[in-house]
Amino acid sequence: MLGTMEPPPSRTEPPATSPAEWSDLMARSQDGDAAAYRRLLLGITPYLRTIALRAHRNPGDAEDAVQDILLTLHAIRDTYDRTRPFKPWLAGIARYRIADRLRAMGIAASREVALDLEHETFAAPDTNIETTLDHHALRAALQALPANQRQAVTLLKLREMSLKEAAAVSGTSIASLKVATHRGIKALRRLLAQPGGGDD
Amino acid sequence: MIDTPDLIESLARDTRRLRPVRSPLARAGGWLLLAAAIMLLLGIAHGIRPDIGTQLQKPSFVLGIAASLLTGVLAAIGCLMASLPDRSRRWLLLPLPSLALWVSTIGYGCLTDWVSIDSTGMHPGEAVRCFVTLLVVSLPLSLAMFAMLRHAARLRPAALTVTAGLAVAAITSTALSLFHPLDASIMILIWNLGTAALLVTLEGAAGRRLLARFARLSSFHEKPRPG
Repeated sequence: MLGTMEPPPSRTEPPATSPAEWSDLMARSQDGDAAAYRRLLLGITPYLRTIALRAHRNPGDAEDAVQDILLTLHAIRDTYDRTRPFKPWLAGIARYRIADRLRAMGIAASREVALDLEHETFAAPDTNIETTLDHHALRAALQALPANQRQAVTLLKLREMSLKEAAAVSGTSIASLKVATHRGIKALRRLLAQPGGGDD
Repeated sequence: MIDTPDLIESLARDTRRLRPVRSPLARAGGWLLLAAAIMLLLGIAHGIRPDIGTQLQKPSFVLGIAASLLTGVLAAIGCLMASLPDRSRRWLLLPLPSLALWVSTIGYGCLTDWVSIDSTGMHPGEAVRCFVTLLVVSLPLSLAMFAMLRHAARLRPAALTVTAGLAVAAITSTALSLFHPLDASIMILIWNLGTAALLVTLEGAAGRRLLARFARLSSFHEKPRPG
């Protein structure tokens, strides 16, 4: 999922945009000034996004890269030397992280196959609904049953009647309906299991 | 995936006063002091090799030991410099000239002493003591170097770890030359180049994981799963 593209306005001051201001804010962040740190991170995010979008075509990947750079900056913020400018330090982190990510993505791309919508059904028969619920085959198999079994299966299993209702409709006893259904299902199973069985 | 402004908010909340790391030169100096202390302790415990006086009169020995020491110093400075994101990775080339000199003196000694191998031959006891020296010197130096390089774990650290391994190998080799009378040149070659290659290979292979572990131990490293 894509993160929000525009940072919200800071609670106190606008985000810092000039590199000179960044150096000062970073020095204050090292002293534990959370407000300065927040302003700095909000200020550098558009710059990082520009760099990331140059490397990634997908905006989601670019935003992942931005966050990766921010997390790395946070983890190694004690290596910033406040006598030196901040921007080359930040640019170095961004360069290494993006290079690392591109390499990891290249490795992943060489080992994985991205699935499109048309790949959602596979060649294996189990995964294809059309094969498991083939109405034509079922109807043909039903036609091959003896009449009493076909009627019992149709009423009880396809129309989902109760035994009592089915007995009333068919004019047979409940016991014989049960026997006919049992035999009918068994016969259907055998018919449908045959290769090409029940085909029209 | 967490929104970027939310991430910034959580990072800002996590911040606290921290001490910036020392300059790379200061850290390299600290590391070399550790190396000097280890060598001093070894010298007291084990003693300098008995033929050090005659050896120091040989220009090839002096040149070799100076070159390996210089390689260790420059490799340490180079990899600590290059580990910072705003310094050029060309710092890693710093030890190359002295490395070439060191390797060439090994080769020279090897050629001149070639015929005396059989008469001076290595004894297994000496070889085992050499290996112990090797471990005693290189293990603490490797650990200290990787602790100092932990910040670079996420900054493409492969070349850094190889150079760090070279620094450790060069210092270790210097110690070996000072403490062990390995006159058979082929053994020096095996020890010097073999241990250097082994250290570089091992640390190159294990270094990345080791650095990542150091980094996880030492700092906030919680990364949300991309998704």
